[in-house]
Amino acid sequence: MDLQTHIQKTLLQVAELANCQISQPLTDDTVLLESGLDSLGFAMLVAQLEEELGMDPFSEMQIAVYPRTLGEFIHIYQQAAGSS
Amino acid sequence: MMAFWQQLPQTPPDRLAVDGALPLSFEQLHNRATQLRNTHPELYGKALALEYTSTTEFLCALLAFDGWCSALYLLPDTTQELAMPADLMHWPADTAVKTPLSELCHSTEPALETVWYLATSGTTGTPKWIPHRFASLCRAVKSNPASALRWGLCYQPYRFAGLQVLLQSALSGACLIDASSGDAHQRMQVFKRYQVNALSATPSLWRQLLMTNQLAELPLLQLTLGGEIADQPLLTKLQQLFPTARVLHIYASTEAGVGFSVSDGQAGFPEAWLQQTRSGIQMRINAEHHLCIKPATVPVRSQHIVVDADGFIDTSDVVQLKSGRVLFLGRANGAINVGGNKVHPEQVEQVLLQHEAVLQARVYGKASSVLGQLVVADVVAKPGSDLKKLPSQLMQLCLTQLQRYQIPTRYHWVSELANNSSGKLSRKESNV
Repeated sequence: MDLQTHIQKTLLQVAELANCQISQPLTDDTVLLESGLDSLGFAMLVAQLEEELGMDPFSEMQIAVYPRTLGEFIHIYQQAAGSS
Repeated sequence: MMAFWQQLPQTPPDRLAVDGALPLSFEQLHNRATQLRNTHPELYGKALALEYTSTTEFLCALLAFDGWCSALYLLPDTTQELAMPADLMHWPADTAVKTPLSELCHSTEPALETVWYLATSGTTGTPKWIPHRFASLCRAVKSNPASALRWGLCYQPYRFAGLQVLLQSALSGACLIDASSGDAHQRMQVFKRYQVNALSATPSLWRQLLMTNQLAELPLLQLTLGGEIADQPLLTKLQQLFPTARVLHIYASTEAGVGFSVSDGQAGFPEAWLQQTRSGIQMRINAEHHLCIKPATVPVRSQHIVVDADGFIDTSDVVQLKSGRVLFLGRANGAINVGGNKVHPEQVEQVLLQHEAVLQARVYGKASSVLGQLVVADVVAKPGSDLKKLPSQLMQLCLTQLQRYQIPTRYHWVSELANNSSGKLSRKESNV
């Protein structure tokens, strides 16, 4: 499974676990904080991906970068995976 | 001693509080507060519980009744389990007792030294009232009578963080814009509409504001981080976005009144401060690596505050010395800080244990790059339990009794949980 599919699948799993309703189909343009996932759900997604992928790009940054859209979020993981 | 209302700046700007569509000038606030006092002589010298209805009403009441009542209890949104003192008057009153106009008086009673009580969730999960003197609440307030700052209020003012911003803006004559409710996007729209240029928020809220990708559109001059440990990447990012702005992080201990602020852009604070008295505050690290603070004003006596023989208060915050800095690691009592919200493991464990399939539970914090910490639980489940279904069942159970941030985000199924030598559940070191 490629990273993009993996992240989207994990997002849906976490949303269910976090009791968050994802209203729209997920696309690269989905705005994370408007997707139905709240800040707790988003934190759970990053924690779940850390368990599954063995990395948390947000904790490794020297200067914090925060993604607005799902596409930006996936890109950060792709970059981190490519550089590690 | 001067009451809150006597300390308002003499030459205020036109507008002070913007509460939705209702701006109030200093003069209007002052007049309304005076009117409240004069129409309620029966409240003089009494202990009063203040309920929050709106920010301007709350501010009016604080201006009116500081120096007028013996004590002000700032009621939080949930008052369950909070022990209320006897003979407490309430504001706004359920049945308003209006003094007849003929009895209206411009009272000449001397201003009292009002004790302000703020609710804290306490160390065991039971909420407690912590007393403060007005002077100690204002310790961190920078008075700048000609302030051109427009503060965005991110927290309800009955909470310590919100009250600090309210006092800061009122006493420095700055404009206050209420954005204490709503998600990050809604708040950002309010900030943009009123061109807010000063903000105080938890690191977690700053991260959410950064995620809107609109933060850079604000003309920020002052950025304050508080309520959680401020990490270096976030501090660096904010300073990079606003190179000429003042970026500071505040350390505050509810137990010790107000702490101090750090403005050098680095996480933690300089080790050299341990050898100095700064703004009347002294600090030292005790044998258990807890930060202890001796405040400038002697704290109001309370059974919940432990003061040692030298006047130092144990903050229960664990610190570490590293490269000339004192860095914060987390709470000694295991309390978890989820985006600025305190979670007590015992309280969550009690709820999990109500489920028939949960034999033992241990709740602790796991480091999160998004919210600082997340709540995680180790659970010993009854043999034969359906572990696939259990998380959602526990979620439903928790939703009925806990706030969302208190609910475990992850379960680890374990076969047993260790007890320590005294027979109590061993608390895992919080992994901050």
